[in-house]
Amino acid sequence: MNNAFDFSVFSRQSPKGILVIYIHLIYKVIKVSWILLFLVLKDFSRISKIGENYIYLSLAVILIFLLIRAYLIYKNFQFKIANEHFILKQGIIKKTSTSIPFHRIQNINFKQNIIQQIIGVYEVNIETAGSSKAEISIKALSFLKAEALKEIISKSTDYTHEIIEKDKSKPILKIGVKELFKVSLTENHLQNLVLFLALILGFFQQIEQVVDSLGRTASLDGFIEESTNALSASFFLVTILLIFLTIIALMSSFVKIFLIHFNLTAYLKEDAFEINQGLLTKKSIVLKKQKVQNITVSTNPLKRLIGISFITFKQAISGRVKVKKDKLIRIAGCKKDQVDVIKTSLFDVTEVENKEKKYPDTYYKRRIFIFTFLFLTILYSAIYLVFKQVEIFYSTLFVLPVTILLIRKKVKKRFYKITDSMLLMSSGLLETHLIYFEIFKIQNIKMKQTIFQKRSNVSDIIFQTASGKIKIPCIQSEDAVKIYNHTLYKVETSKTSWM
Amino acid sequence: MTDTFQNNVVNDFPDIVEVEFENIDKNYLKVIYINFLLVFIPFLVGIIVLHQLVFPEKINEFIVPIYIVFFVLFGFILAYLVASFTKRKYVLREKDISYKCGLFVKTLTTVPFSRIQHVETDEKPISRIFGLSSLSVFTAGDSSDDLVIKGITKQKALQIKEFITTEINE
Repeated sequence: MNNAFDFSVFSRQSPKGILVIYIHLIYKVIKVSWILLFLVLKDFSRISKIGENYIYLSLAVILIFLLIRAYLIYKNFQFKIANEHFILKQGIIKKTSTSIPFHRIQNINFKQNIIQQIIGVYEVNIETAGSSKAEISIKALSFLKAEALKEIISKSTDYTHEIIEKDKSKPILKIGVKELFKVSLTENHLQNLVLFLALILGFFQQIEQVVDSLGRTASLDGFIEESTNALSASFFLVTILLIFLTIIALMSSFVKIFLIHFNLTAYLKEDAFEINQGLLTKKSIVLKKQKVQNITVSTNPLKRLIGISFITFKQAISGRVKVKKDKLIRIAGCKKDQVDVIKTSLFDVTEVENKEKKYPDTYYKRRIFIFTFLFLTILYSAIYLVFKQVEIFYSTLFVLPVTILLIRKKVKKRFYKITDSMLLMSSGLLETHLIYFEIFKIQNIKMKQTIFQKRSNVSDIIFQTASGKIKIPCIQSEDAVKIYNHTLYKVETSKTSWM
Repeated sequence: MTDTFQNNVVNDFPDIVEVEFENIDKNYLKVIYINFLLVFIPFLVGIIVLHQLVFPEKINEFIVPIYIVFFVLFGFILAYLVASFTKRKYVLREKDISYKCGLFVKTLTTVPFSRIQHVETDEKPISRIFGLSSLSVFTAGDSSDDLVIKGITKQKALQIKEFITTEINE
């Protein structure tokens, strides 16, 4: 135990925090005004001497203003622990006081971005299930103080007799550079490519808007038109473009994986997981087992070939806010036995895994087929109406078999296994996702039936959980009613708290 | 708890299909009519104004079919609203609250009391004329998909709210 720090009186973060806050503020200003900066820099030589001085002056004023602001933020940021509550006072003009009871805290994360790494402080984020506003982020704490704080919070009533042998014990998972390389090779490159292109597109749109306002659109348009004409004429160029895109996709997967998961280690403790990862921004997450709503084990054919999969932990979120991507806690590159250890430490999974698979009714397959072919027909008619060339129909020779194959794959992957207390749900197209879920944790349950489904006597079941929906589509209505009743029975008789 | 309100449906092993559901208040149909008129009349006025003042002669040749299409469209919407009204039902059991609705897509939702975070009743202006209010329950997670019962008497809504509140706090 570390009692060197007294948390019962208000204390501030480490004075180094001023620097962290200051750089963060500057970063925020640059983020909103980078177009302006870009314009100023581009035409810098054309600005007269006096104008130049004004620019320097205003820059200095802004920097000093931000420094004062950073100091005030630091000065007014005070926290203490009282009565099993974490209490935080902050705000320069508008004072706010936040109080979070320990049992509401979902996880405590340590983070270190580059600056924090250089000056040797940790950022501590205290997250609750509430909206993102309730989150507490202490920008700079010394390692010892951060550890002490974490220990006090995670040692809330239920875990008083926690044994502290865990520290520096053997991690259940450790991923080196070589394995990370393998992981990034087997990533979903298509998805990463789309993300990357979206990013680039957004960037170009912003540039275009600026150029547009300067009245240079005509020349740019001409340039684009010229190049696109040349492009469509040349098959050679298209091939090069494809190769180029593939390389970009691979690169973006690499970069993404290395940035997020560098040096991934995961520890298994009595009541929690501790996950450390990150290259530029080091992150350390303590995840209480009790707060995990469900886990998803995902893999794809390539990953299966070298025997790895990744696990996503889902926690409760509230409100209509979209789950922030960085709030999803993911462990990449788990071997099979590691997956087993993690699974069994959370739930009792053997029974549900040994159950037989139950597939949706054939209606499900029929519906996907009908909708897909309807969509394809409309798409092809539209393309034909626009281009008026019969040649486009040759592509069906390729498109149709692939579509049928994909649909068959998708249908085959949709199955569920259900026992008294657990649900195992499988889905996916190229990737396979297995969701493990304890039935008593649902929030509400829905049964849906369209008039088309009624004829085949099938219904959908939708479990609403604290971390999103889980849907079993198109099962026989009598099964659906059975599951419905059983689930309600389970929820209403269970005495265990769901988070 | 008042005498008029009881929870009669209590089963040891509850079967949701065999439970008798209650209809929502008949007066709510009037609210639906008024809401419909509030949308319909501006559209009707709009199309008449277009007919009289804006449309050139060429379009006015087809004015009869235009009116027919217009009335048929709104006729269908009205018919759908009225028909789906009879499908809205709810039931309160010992430990949960259920609501079903839908003409083309039938939906049945059940929220166990033990998962309810809070309950809300509110009255919209037109509903208030008929003494009706709506009851919403909220659970954790994505609350957009929780349960809302529109068109029950204010008195009943408050009773249910109180009942659930005491159940939650137990």
